Amino acid sequence: MSTTMTFTEPEERTALRKAVFDLGSSFGHDYYLAQARNGGHTDELWDAAGRLGYLGVAVPEQYGGGGGGIGDLSAVCEEFCAAGTPMLLMVVSPAICATVLSRFGTEEQRDHWLPGFATGQVRMAFAITEPDAGSNAHNITTTARRDGDGWVLNGQKVFISGVDEADAVLVVGRTTDARTGNLKPALYIVPTDSPGLEAKPIEMDLTSADKQFSLFFDDVRLPGNALVGSEDAAIAQLFAGLNPERIMGASFSLGIARLALDRATEYAKVRKIWDTPIGAHQGIAHPLAEIKVEIELAKLMTQKAAALYDSGDDMGAGEAANMAKYAAAEAAVRAVDQAVQTHGGNGLASEYGLGAMIAAARVGRIAPVSREMVLNFVAQHSLGLPKSY
Amino acid sequence: MTNIVVLVKQVPDTYSERKLTETDHTLDRESADAVLDEINERAVEEALKIKEAGEGEVTVLCVGPDRATDAIRKALSMGADKAVHVSDEALHGSDLVATSRVIAAAIGKLDSVDLVIAGNEASDGRGGAVPAVVAELLGLPQLTHAHHLAVEGSTVKVDRETADEGITHLEANLPALVSVTEKINEPRYPSFKGIMAAKKKPVETYTVADLGIDAGEVGLTNAWSAVQSASPKPPRQAGERVEDDGEGGTKIAEYLVGQKLV
Repeated sequence: MSTTMTFTEPEERTALRKAVFDLGSSFGHDYYLAQARNGGHTDELWDAAGRLGYLGVAVPEQYGGGGGGIGDLSAVCEEFCAAGTPMLLMVVSPAICATVLSRFGTEEQRDHWLPGFATGQVRMAFAITEPDAGSNAHNITTTARRDGDGWVLNGQKVFISGVDEADAVLVVGRTTDARTGNLKPALYIVPTDSPGLEAKPIEMDLTSADKQFSLFFDDVRLPGNALVGSEDAAIAQLFAGLNPERIMGASFSLGIARLALDRATEYAKVRKIWDTPIGAHQGIAHPLAEIKVEIELAKLMTQKAAALYDSGDDMGAGEAANMAKYAAAEAAVRAVDQAVQTHGGNGLASEYGLGAMIAAARVGRIAPVSREMVLNFVAQHSLGLPKSY
Repeated sequence: MTNIVVLVKQVPDTYSERKLTETDHTLDRESADAVLDEINERAVEEALKIKEAGEGEVTVLCVGPDRATDAIRKALSMGADKAVHVSDEALHGSDLVATSRVIAAAIGKLDSVDLVIAGNEASDGRGGAVPAVVAELLGLPQLTHAHHLAVEGSTVKVDRETADEGITHLEANLPALVSVTEKINEPRYPSFKGIMAAKKKPVETYTVADLGIDAGEVGLTNAWSAVQSASPKPPRQAGERVEDDGEGGTKIAEYLVGQKLV
């Protein structure tokens, strides 16, 4: 066994990053902001990325995908964000939904959905959060009951991204265990045009091309094949989907952090107040240097999490994915704050687009799992501290 | 079946600061990111379009140091089938005549070439003569500065556009050489599958000796031209600010007239 560890990505990953960054840059942050501010989406970019196979890098080759892993997909996500064109649906559609269906879907479900994920033509939202069950999946009340061969779904979800752009929603609900009579989790594919499903936009102070929704399920009738995989595998399915979600969340934050740091350093190189560019002053230079260190550390942990996940180590990936998500979100919040500070008044001028990034970066501390829940995980699982809840 | 050779070059990224070395005034390759020249991406794109419209094979040909493999890989990831890489320490500092001889000799190693496509001018050397010299050396018709290109049977048709002469319509029998301008097309981005496939595509490497060229005919010491000195671009001067008190337009016009710009 080789004892040499490498900390560089393979050539192909580097080439993929460059190609994705170039495509994102050809659209650019100004395009993204214009779409977001006018209530538009980024369909042109999504479609172009899909045609080039960037959205389907992790879908198995037999379904037309790239046959890569979450490491490839998270690199794509990071580069689009770094190019100023973040696509929030990447975190859910190809990362969570395609992964869950690929690993746990029935053959029929895989044949039906995965070719669309490979090309980006299918978009699927993911719904787990409920108004009274934020981070506590045990309190989920959205319930499916058997109805002949099918199911009837009732309940409510909140802060679900991109439902208006999606063909279907992967819903985490509960169903009655035939053996014990207790409720247990189960995942359902719910087409967005299902009768009885209502999606209400949530007004957000976010400049995002992907909107947030509340979902209401009122006797939504689903066919029997809407249940993902087997009824008893839901916990494993959730874990399979949530690690990629955290890794993608980390990559999303990393991209935002890189964009902010790039903008700040470019400005600090040219902006002169007296004789020297402001970047020569340590009051400006040192915070940016610290942020560079924090970004690189967070990126390394993200790559580790992805490598563990792709190697099949779900448990090992869990700790690394949580840590990466935490570190990347902190780096992004700090990078954007310092970019604004470096720009002075321009930092909040609409033309520079940094003000919009303040809220975008802040999302990383809350979603897909809050900073506090990550710290709880580390306290209990990594440090063995007692649980408070 | 059209066999197409595309000439590609690795150049310093035009977005980075480009420098010459202090010792011999050749390109300082370490100072800037190295990329496939954008005009070559367009040349590759045009070759791929011809291939996809019928059938054919696209070979990229690169003369450059070992690290030019990155530029070759980019062209292969776009969809080219194979590559030829001429890499030799002796080539360092070669002028465009020597470079063209090497290119012509490398093309001579390939079987039945129908069409050679080049960019009209590299973004670093800016000589803009390599395509014509290569065509002369190979005895091929040269259709340069193409903004439109079509292969019809055994002929190639080109719309040639230059600033001085407007547009001329050229036609030649294959085999021929075409150089393209930046108006020719928008190059594609490499797909993920293209990126993954690129590493497995064959790249044949040659030294100058392999091509039957004496090392004494190439390189800086045998170049017909040499850079004597180089100095960086002077920093931009502060502009003249015109306050608009109702006369702004007139003042700008006066300024432009004063600079003989209008």
